[in-house]
Amino acid sequence: MTSTAEVWKFAPAYELPSWPFVVPADLAARERSRYPVVIAGGGLAGLTLACDLALRGIAVVVLDEDDTVGVRGASSRGICYAQKSLEIFDRLGVYERIRAKGITWSVGRTFSGADEIYSFNLKDESLSEQPPFINLQQFYLEWFLVERIGELAPGAIRWKTKVVGVEHRDDGAVIEVETPAGRYSLEAEWFVDATGANSRIRDELGLEAHASRHTDRWCISDVRFKKPFAVERWTWIDAPFNEGRGVWQHLMADAVWRLDYQMDEHADPESISRPEVAGARLREQLGPDVEFEFVWIGPYQYRDHLLDTFRVGRTIFIGDAAHVVCPFGARGGNNGIQDAANLGWKLALVLRGEAGESLVDSYQHERHAAAAENLRITSRTARFLAPRSAAEHRLRRAVVDLARRHEFARRLANTGRMAQANDYPPSPWAPAGARSLQNVAVDGTSVVRLLADGTRFLGLWVGASRSEAAALGDDLGARLPIAVHALDPAGALARHLGAHAGAGTVTGTGAGTRSGVGTGSFILVRPDAYVAARIDSPTPATIEAALRRALSLEAAP
Amino acid sequence: MKTDLHIGDPDGFYEAWVAAHDGLSESESADLDARLVLLLANQVGDLQVLLDCIAAARAARG
Repeated sequence: MTSTAEVWKFAPAYELPSWPFVVPADLAARERSRYPVVIAGGGLAGLTLACDLALRGIAVVVLDEDDTVGVRGASSRGICYAQKSLEIFDRLGVYERIRAKGITWSVGRTFSGADEIYSFNLKDESLSEQPPFINLQQFYLEWFLVERIGELAPGAIRWKTKVVGVEHRDDGAVIEVETPAGRYSLEAEWFVDATGANSRIRDELGLEAHASRHTDRWCISDVRFKKPFAVERWTWIDAPFNEGRGVWQHLMADAVWRLDYQMDEHADPESISRPEVAGARLREQLGPDVEFEFVWIGPYQYRDHLLDTFRVGRTIFIGDAAHVVCPFGARGGNNGIQDAANLGWKLALVLRGEAGESLVDSYQHERHAAAAENLRITSRTARFLAPRSAAEHRLRRAVVDLARRHEFARRLANTGRMAQANDYPPSPWAPAGARSLQNVAVDGTSVVRLLADGTRFLGLWVGASRSEAAALGDDLGARLPIAVHALDPAGALARHLGAHAGAGTVTGTGAGTRSGVGTGSFILVRPDAYVAARIDSPTPATIEAALRRALSLEAAP
Repeated sequence: MKTDLHIGDPDGFYEAWVAAHDGLSESESADLDARLVLLLANQVGDLQVLLDCIAAARAARG
């Protein structure tokens, strides 16, 4: 027994909003309604996609079995939102609320014992109007998205509506749902499963998820206290105040710190999360005099899975339903958000008949590759953090001991490689691959704002005059979804594109050097701010060919 | 990966390598060799060469 008879304080539970079940017209209708897109699951990925489609003018229905956001009785799952996600939220119109409520950060530090052995500042590589990261409890983000969808498409989210059966057809899906007022069915041209890691829709299709479970065990304490810690991401490989195991320290909104403690893998999850046990860990870290109150305590183990295919006919899997990775580096939620942003414009253009249906296959091609990369990267971190043998402990010790003295070894200390917008591999739609553009300011606007209007590609014509760009835009834009913008070759965006060299080069070898992009070149930017092609010596015909390829349209006659 | 001799003074290197282990326990010796591998890997740099070296080291297991 410890001598203290400390009383552990708990903050009152979060009061999450709830939304009412509204009896839909479908319930009494004699004919089944058919919708362009039906999304099952109102988590991060599903809500992002719904918001994206609503903004693009596509009628969308979200089916959510609950009537609130987050997970009732639990705490936040995701907490770190990466720049690409924030840029997406800027386009969707919720970024300002996220920025105002959340915690902006860019510096990470890694410690071994009492020594800092590695640090990074993500701002060094950032040109975007959005910061590298904002931390925010996931339910706030979902809350903002729900309210935004309410503005864009009132009634699109159907609360307390549980999917109980799906009939997959060649031309869509028939979805049967259960509600407080009874059952009904609705039809979707495209059906999106965003119901998360335990998706029954996926399992009922018998798809192989390649799931594996890790033995590493952690326990989260979300805590409020007055000690002035740095607003940075701090990680300990081996913390003296946690019996030489890992600790994560991060600030979220409402002055709540997330302290995540690595436990003995054989520890009993119930006992390590008892308030007196979690409280003793906190005392060890915070010292004797710091007052604190718990917001939440929760033990967890992690697992991963990756579906072979994210599309089965007219049914598409996004977010955790398709892939789950270890939590290190914030590659879970951010990739559900990016799945949604990758899919939204493609579905919208296919539904409008402005793109070929096979464009949807590029979602599978690109996002499966991203998920596989994220799985590889997070698995490496997991292996570093939880050595499986004495020999592995020895190799990690070599890294840590050398990192105290030598610069090169610091970079090997792996407590997570923070989520970035993944590059996409070469494909029929982007023969040289596709790379994300940051939301760089340009001519009083920005990349995101130039792409915000409708669902059009953006052509950046380097060194062209405004009237040349407008004439080309008028000509191409009359037939295809594109606007053309003249780009100053000396501006920040042209320099950013120069640093992009290699990704997306369609023709030529000389332009797009590291110092900038050549005057005269044409950069084809997709609605999700990925560069689909760069054309060094463009003609209207080569631009149109690249655009048609990116849209899965037949070549021009 | 080079497999012909590239070390300037092989006997001198071996002598120094052995001497570095003097007075160390088995565990301390293994730690030293792990640090040495990392330092040398950083001198080599090229990932493919490092992967070839790892494979060759495993293949030569007595």
